[in-house]
Amino acid sequence: MYNGYSGNILRVDLSTGAVTREPLDIQMAEDFVGGRGLASRLLCTEIDPAVDPLGPENPLIFGTGPLTGSGAPATSRYVVVCKAPLTGTIACSNSGGFFGPELKFAGYDFLIIQGESAEPVYLWISDRTVEIRSAEALWGEFPAATEAALRRLTRATAKVACIGPGGERLSLLAGVVNDGYRLAARSGVGALMGKKKLKAIAVHGSGSVRLHDSEQFWSATMDMHEKIAADPVSFGSFRAYGTASLVNLINEMGAYPTRNFQYDTFEGAANTSGEAVVEDILQRNRACFACPIACTRVSEVKDGPYKGRGEGPEYESIWALGALCGVSDLAAVAKANFICGDYGIDTISTGATIACAMELFEKGALSEKEIGFSMRFGDAAAMVRAVEMTGKREGFGEVLADGSYRLAARYGHPEFFMGVKKLEMSAYSPRVFQGMALQYATSNRGACHVRGNTVAAELYGIPRYMAPELLEQKEEMVRRPFQNSTAFVDSTGICLFTKFAITHREICALLTPATGLDFSFDRSIEQGDRIWNIERMFNLRAGFTSDDDKLPQRVTEPSPDGPRAGSRAVLHEHLQTYYQLRGWDRSGRPTRAKLDELGLEDWWGVCSDA
Amino acid sequence: MCAATRDDRAQKNMIEITVRLNAGLRRYRPALGIGEALPLHVPEGTNLKELLSRILQISPEEVAFLLVNGIKCSLDEPLAAGDRVALWPPVAGG
Repeated sequence: MYNGYSGNILRVDLSTGAVTREPLDIQMAEDFVGGRGLASRLLCTEIDPAVDPLGPENPLIFGTGPLTGSGAPATSRYVVVCKAPLTGTIACSNSGGFFGPELKFAGYDFLIIQGESAEPVYLWISDRTVEIRSAEALWGEFPAATEAALRRLTRATAKVACIGPGGERLSLLAGVVNDGYRLAARSGVGALMGKKKLKAIAVHGSGSVRLHDSEQFWSATMDMHEKIAADPVSFGSFRAYGTASLVNLINEMGAYPTRNFQYDTFEGAANTSGEAVVEDILQRNRACFACPIACTRVSEVKDGPYKGRGEGPEYESIWALGALCGVSDLAAVAKANFICGDYGIDTISTGATIACAMELFEKGALSEKEIGFSMRFGDAAAMVRAVEMTGKREGFGEVLADGSYRLAARYGHPEFFMGVKKLEMSAYSPRVFQGMALQYATSNRGACHVRGNTVAAELYGIPRYMAPELLEQKEEMVRRPFQNSTAFVDSTGICLFTKFAITHREICALLTPATGLDFSFDRSIEQGDRIWNIERMFNLRAGFTSDDDKLPQRVTEPSPDGPRAGSRAVLHEHLQTYYQLRGWDRSGRPTRAKLDELGLEDWWGVCSDA
Repeated sequence: MCAATRDDRAQKNMIEITVRLNAGLRRYRPALGIGEALPLHVPEGTNLKELLSRILQISPEEVAFLLVNGIKCSLDEPLAAGDRVALWPPVAGG
């Protein structure tokens, strides 16, 4: 009897058409929680991390957590795990909406897609009925149209995850899109779905999540609702301004990377701020499953050259398509964001790749002839045009669609790639936020802020304030309350955005009545540590070394502008302290003692014998 | 010292500063555009708490982020001529 979990793994082989069901290993669930952790553990069983990420042997794993669909606040999350097409690291992209809970209601914790189809197909899952159907008629459609068509073809209330044309054309920037506009965006997971010729998954579930102790669970849930309702971020700024309320604040601090990280302040921040989104384009808010916060923006540019509608733009998207490209026209940024949604490509990596192209162009490494038009920083029309070409993989978009690491290398300037492990950095300058400098350097999926958003401590004071420039004790802060804690939370199925009102301990207090398993605080931190370590082991076997835990040279040099001019990324140099705290050797490999402590096997012989 | 850049524009006992109100705090000066600076002349020695409660009439409890010249400051910091003050209610992102 499973509680919290549905207890089933659905396996679909697109090469043979075989559909099988397997029971969830409850011991594995106790060790790896669910979602990100358990899907990563399953991936380690499925493949040798040295495989070609776009090969048929690389499975695409959709995973939910024990809280997904439970009805507790913001329990909407699902993950997409595989070896990442963009980076070659382990990938775990996650998204909210309604698709994850529906998969759970259909009776599945995990869906493992293996093999490849010869022709475009979609998967129709209605409880125990699973069919692989032709998607010839859907190929080329945008996600919103795909979802509408699938609801006609299957059931009016079906929930859909799909790829856009970007994924179909194997763009390494492609994500998986669910509920029309939400993306499991990063690491190129949509390219693998496209390679498998799997256009979409439509799900209907008639079940629900069974709870171990429903009285205690709903009591804890009501407490959480009260805390969220009383929290000025969750019920205040997130509702009113979404994540983009940060634009002006981070810019005012001089920590808003601009023009491909050449600068840290942007003169166009106010024009593209969350406040401007509300005044100019916001139509209404939208909530994910069981979410009282409703931070999603539904927006529309009503007229002019950038007319369009969709969801967003969020803080990171505004930054990547705005400041990073020097673009201060909100309508253009919104339009580019809508195009990314239509083609199903990651706004962060897309904006960062165009910013990299702009720098190559301005410095003479890339000509107008090669691009087809002039592409200077600040040229809104060129930015929007480039986003569309990237989505279509058309003209110079053929090159842009593979991301900035490959672009910068191709044109002889690898130093213009602003990322780590081939993944582009996010909207917090590591010259200013020292915790983020170490986080970008060591994150298992490459430079990413949400694997350990140290800005919570370095700005908001959660769990306690540590000034951005401080170095002392930051290595431990990055490791434990951010990386390990986040690995755990990402595995439960609850949204990270609850953490402004709710503590890690309170999430643990929800898991025990949901599952009947022991999710004490200490154990959860160990679970997070275990998850972080298997991701690291995967990367080591995939060929990554401590040399890859390195920031771009540019951000290690003094910031040229803003109130923190002269500051530079330093904390990533403290790798040995961080490795030691992690129980790794000097090469960044987990030691035998660390594996024993976590109860892990050295599947591929990548760990240290020390 | 909070201020990263200060000059000697103080005349007699009044100094000129600018204030930017952001997010929900914009309602205290709704006529100001987004990111627009409110120029103010305040008595020399005025601290941030006095600026908030006496001059702007904003309760310090409403203010989560208080930056002077881009640097986070405490309420008892005195202001200097040319200071650029920026205020936010609790906000966050991801």
